[in-house]
Amino acid sequence: MHPKHVLDGFKILDLTQYLAGPTASRLLVEMGAEVIKVEIAPRGDSTRFLPYHKNNRSCYYVQQNRGKKSLCLDIRSEKGLNIIKDLIKQCDVLLENFSPGAMDRLGLSWAAVNAINPEIVMCSISAFGQEGPLSKLQGIDIIAQAYAGVTDMIGAKDGPPALPLLALGDVNTGVHAVAAINAALLNRTRTGKGQWLDISLLDCYYHAHEMNVHVISASDGAMMPKRSGAHHYAVSPLGAFKGAERYIMLMGSLHFWEPLCKLMDREDMITDPKFDTNDARVANANEVVEIIETWIQRHNDDEAVVEKLQGARIPSAPVLTVAETMAHPHMRERRTVRTIHDRLAGDFDIPGMPLRFSDYPEIMDLEAPFLGEHNAEILSTYLDMSAEQITALEAEGVLDSGDS
Amino acid sequence: MPPKPILDGYKIIDFTQYLAGPTATRLMAEMGADIIKVEMSPYGDPSRSFPYRSREKRSAYFVQQNRGKKSLCIDIKNEKSKAVLADLIKKCDVLIENFAPGVVGRIGFSWEEVHKLNPKLVMCSISAFGQTGPLSHLPGFDYIAQAYAGVTSVIGEPDSPPSLPMLGIGDVTTGVHAAGALSFALLDAHRTGVGQHLDISLLDCYFHQHEVNVQAYSASKGKIVPRRAGSHHYAVAPTGIFQGPQGYIMILALLHQWPVLCKAMGREDLTDHPLFATNEDRIINLKQLIVEIESWLQSFATDEEAIAALQAVRVPVAPVLTVPQAINHPHHRARGTVRTISDRMLGEFDIPGMPLRFSNHPDLLPLEAPFLGEQNREILSEWLSYTDEQIGTLETEGVLTSANH
Repeated sequence: MHPKHVLDGFKILDLTQYLAGPTASRLLVEMGAEVIKVEIAPRGDSTRFLPYHKNNRSCYYVQQNRGKKSLCLDIRSEKGLNIIKDLIKQCDVLLENFSPGAMDRLGLSWAAVNAINPEIVMCSISAFGQEGPLSKLQGIDIIAQAYAGVTDMIGAKDGPPALPLLALGDVNTGVHAVAAINAALLNRTRTGKGQWLDISLLDCYYHAHEMNVHVISASDGAMMPKRSGAHHYAVSPLGAFKGAERYIMLMGSLHFWEPLCKLMDREDMITDPKFDTNDARVANANEVVEIIETWIQRHNDDEAVVEKLQGARIPSAPVLTVAETMAHPHMRERRTVRTIHDRLAGDFDIPGMPLRFSDYPEIMDLEAPFLGEHNAEILSTYLDMSAEQITALEAEGVLDSGDS
Repeated sequence: MPPKPILDGYKIIDFTQYLAGPTATRLMAEMGADIIKVEMSPYGDPSRSFPYRSREKRSAYFVQQNRGKKSLCIDIKNEKSKAVLADLIKKCDVLIENFAPGVVGRIGFSWEEVHKLNPKLVMCSISAFGQTGPLSHLPGFDYIAQAYAGVTSVIGEPDSPPSLPMLGIGDVTTGVHAAGALSFALLDAHRTGVGQHLDISLLDCYFHQHEVNVQAYSASKGKIVPRRAGSHHYAVAPTGIFQGPQGYIMILALLHQWPVLCKAMGREDLTDHPLFATNEDRIINLKQLIVEIESWLQSFATDEEAIAALQAVRVPVAPVLTVPQAINHPHHRARGTVRTISDRMLGEFDIPGMPLRFSNHPDLLPLEAPFLGEQNREILSEWLSYTDEQIGTLETEGVLTSANH
């Protein structure tokens, strides 16, 4: 029988909270894995308290945790810890994003986990990695971003850096973790052995420097990338150009320069030594921007300009607001944005599933758990505990639950 | 004996160029897979001409993205190349391509054709907007998809043009998404014996990073409108970039850290001050809040001292490092977040490290970026048992090309 989805039957024990770790387990659950989300009693994942709240339910929590099973546990109690150890025996993957060293103090170092279950893949996610001078620091997405030299590359040339208002680091780190987990699971089919993965926000942010690092290094510092506002520092024209009412993103370098000049009725610029090469255009970037913006604004119709540019196969786009993306027919048709339903919060939109498999085209119907919703189910099905045992654990405060 | 690399023995035929696709196969090469990089003759991957280039025309850009791959430089429009490529597809576990949607079909390798040639093979198509939908036919690069994803609109000063992030956030993350999906599909093929087609797009991957914007706008019925807000967050305060005594300092004080920050500043009076007591208060009075924090920061002689004061009480804080500072940071060096590689022509230089770290495979593989068509002969003779004469003929006919850089 064909499995229901790529990861049908895989069991994941997820000790993570906030965003990077839950992103990894969110993708795993969207591919059919069973995810036990261990939430620390009594409050659970801190994102349950992040806005936007509707009917006492955090939409933030819902977006990141649909389809997971919540086990709300006092992991510092001996009984709670024993439950974790028993679950480790049955799972394929253990995910955690505590501060480096914390798992060790709980008695759940990689050596201990590997001894309990030699086949398990353990993935540790942290801000700065498990070792190194910064590893002990408090780290959150934009803190690692600043240390990675990324923040400094975003914003106007002469102003302060700008903060990207979305979770480039956390989500991307979750995706890196997922790629590594899968490579390790694939490898396990040949070796029968699990291993430990050390994934950090710093590494993943740094990984996105597709050219800054080698350009500085290989040119011995002769080339020095700098943030440069709306336009690229080394490629021209490439940037956000001011239209009549909105900004238009336009890439007119490489082989797109010639068709762009033709479209603007400025064929003279194709061979003009001021503009004929990318280097020449970078040197005269202000003039290039001015000519293009004047041409765009003359139309007094941004949509018509984008249509013209796209008609000439020049890479271009309206700079859409988030609200505009959510109403865009392409995003809707392709389900880049999708509407989900939550028992308490009702219907609302979240981003779609970015990994698309031809054999599993259907998006799974998933619901985010209430705190500790699956305590009894998990303990009885995984660990054969009786109703009495479970009730005793509840009475002792080892287990906790909530109604949202 | 050290274990074999994690993807040892997997064979990938790679039609991609530029950045997103090559990032996916670069990660797989780092994990030990065999990558045949198919380059269009006569020039190969356009990124071979990207700066920085040495006098010998070796591109550091190309080297960073293509270490450890084997280059097969072939004229894909020539009928004779079809047989070579079809034979290779039969031997591979993965085919990856980033042509504009539809093109791979026109050169004879649509998913249906490929699936017939090799039912177990996993095919991954990477594009700007996806294989379907009204935008799918458009030419797309990183920033173009970024603009359509509503990402550009949330970066920059509120009353100024949006800012371009000066690094390949979209292409690299799309490559990582693709590498993730490929491993899943290989794992699936291991169980089912059947490959499948993956449709990965820059647009989806950028959009995927809206951790709060989409649901907040939607669930609040448009009351919360995500917008760019310069150096500070629009919904959480204090979270942003502050002027320190020397440079910029990133500070982020989540709800429970606000009193801790006030105490560290010696300003416990601010903790319950009516202007700043709640997150909502601090958002409304953000300008005054920034003044309070920046004037405290200015009381230090150096950024380092200010940062140490906050790190001591575990308030998340960081210097906003420039790329050169990040390259030379002791942590980044100690951990291999940045690493020095050697290239035959360019010599030694730095690139980002391997972000996927496996305990059973701790050593990085020694990899070298190929010259154009460097492995033409090796691939055709070892994989497909072509004779020297057959290969010589293909070279003479211009089906195969190579160059010394």
